[in-house]
Amino acid sequence: MKIKAALLTAGIIASFAGSVQANDPAKLNDLEIAHVAYVADNIDIRYAHLALAISSNPAIHTFAKTMIRDHTAVNEQALALLAKLNAQPQDNFLSQSLQENAEKLITEMSALRGAAFDKFYAENELAYHKAVNDLVGNAFIPNIENAEVKSLFEAGLEIFRAHEHHAEKMVSEVN
Amino acid sequence: MQKINRRDVLICSVAAYAVTGLNAAQAHATPATYTITIHKFKFEPDHIDVHVGDTITWINQDLAPHTATADTYDWDTEMLEKGQSKSFLVSERMAGDYFCQFHPNMKGTITIK
Repeated sequence: MKIKAALLTAGIIASFAGSVQANDPAKLNDLEIAHVAYVADNIDIRYAHLALAISSNPAIHTFAKTMIRDHTAVNEQALALLAKLNAQPQDNFLSQSLQENAEKLITEMSALRGAAFDKFYAENELAYHKAVNDLVGNAFIPNIENAEVKSLFEAGLEIFRAHEHHAEKMVSEVN
Repeated sequence: MQKINRRDVLICSVAAYAVTGLNAAQAHATPATYTITIHKFKFEPDHIDVHVGDTITWINQDLAPHTATADTYDWDTEMLEKGQSKSFLVSERMAGDYFCQFHPNMKGTITIK
């Protein structure tokens, strides 16, 4: 419940029509969690490509290139692990909500230019990483059953925490 | 038997000193190899004391790609993906601070003894 509230506050997920119990991130199984992570990685890669296309700020470009590089590396490791486990990620309410909200944000960001875009992108990246790190650290990792999947998420969290710190610096630079 | 005069002794002494002095400048006879592990977004160790002629190897154990790049950009491992490594023979120009170009919060220092 606390996680969901944080995600809602950050604008990461939309409101749900269903019950809280039915939409509890802590209730997702390993394959659903893997799907959420893969979707979340790809969303941030899309934001980054948008930033490279619109922004001319070197700090934004540096950050965006790092997001593409790091999230691609995590996704490659995740896909390799799933292949090894002969498992397929499972779509779920949270993946769909993340995707739906990302589409809205991309539409909104695409209309911005210059400093307005840079500020929006930087602040969204900070909020996004804060919310996702909270989700991964408090809802996903404690509930992942497979040891290898858990280990991958722990390594991923190290990366995303570094991104959060980097995003904080980026926000201070564009404000 | 050839007579050794004081001048010859002096020349030999100077030559011996010069050889000894050269070794001292090179600091140590056997170059050492040091490994810096990149782990959890840190250079471990983040400070290293080395001699010219030693070798430093950076190896990345993180999922995320990293670099070890001089603040001056005089030297650069370029991108190291997980499991990759790169070695440099230490020269004077390597003294100083370095960082990861992708994650600027990651910093390290090389001191030349």
